[in-house]
Amino acid sequence: MGKIAILLVSGELEKLQSASTIASVASSLGEEVLVFATMYGLLAFKKDVVEKKSWKSYGELVEGLIESDLPLFLDVLKEAKTNENLKIYACSMVLGMLNLSITDFIDIFDEVVGVATFLEMVEDAKILFI
Amino acid sequence: MKSDRVIDARESFCPGPLMELIKAIREENVGSVIEVWSSDEGSARDIPEWVKKAGHELVGVFKESDYWRIVVKKKR
Repeated sequence: MGKIAILLVSGELEKLQSASTIASVASSLGEEVLVFATMYGLLAFKKDVVEKKSWKSYGELVEGLIESDLPLFLDVLKEAKTNENLKIYACSMVLGMLNLSITDFIDIFDEVVGVATFLEMVEDAKILFI
Repeated sequence: MKSDRVIDARESFCPGPLMELIKAIREENVGSVIEVWSSDEGSARDIPEWVKKAGHELVGVFKESDYWRIVVKKKR
């Protein structure tokens, strides 16, 4: 089976939701999935952001998404992580830059890594940049 | 063919019915027949694609009055 790497850069809810759906379905098909969260894509997992649902999006689609009974990206990723070969990494640069600790984020990350480690991990993967 | 499990996902939209099928496939034993009911046309096309890629058997997609019955046999 193949390997898919998702670079989660944007913190917009519609992108987070799309990325998590692709990650989840790909992992259910036996693909190895690596998600690397950086920039606002990482901050979307911060405890206060999650608590207030203050993702960087607005409008009809996002209101509809939050109100619908579709599981949100966080739950989609957690479910895939529990059952399939999916790992989520936090970008060490953003943590350093904003003086944050991994404990400021919800408990979903497998490891904090830098770009060199990630590049090594994804050498043989298809990469989606979201 | 008698189904071992019926998932009524008629209130749900894409990818809801697929997600529910994925969960059911994980829980059931090899050889089980699982039937998903979906009123979402996208899912009626999407679920068979997933079933094929995942290596299970698509028993059939049956159009009822206002929904589809997608019948799947778990193969591995």
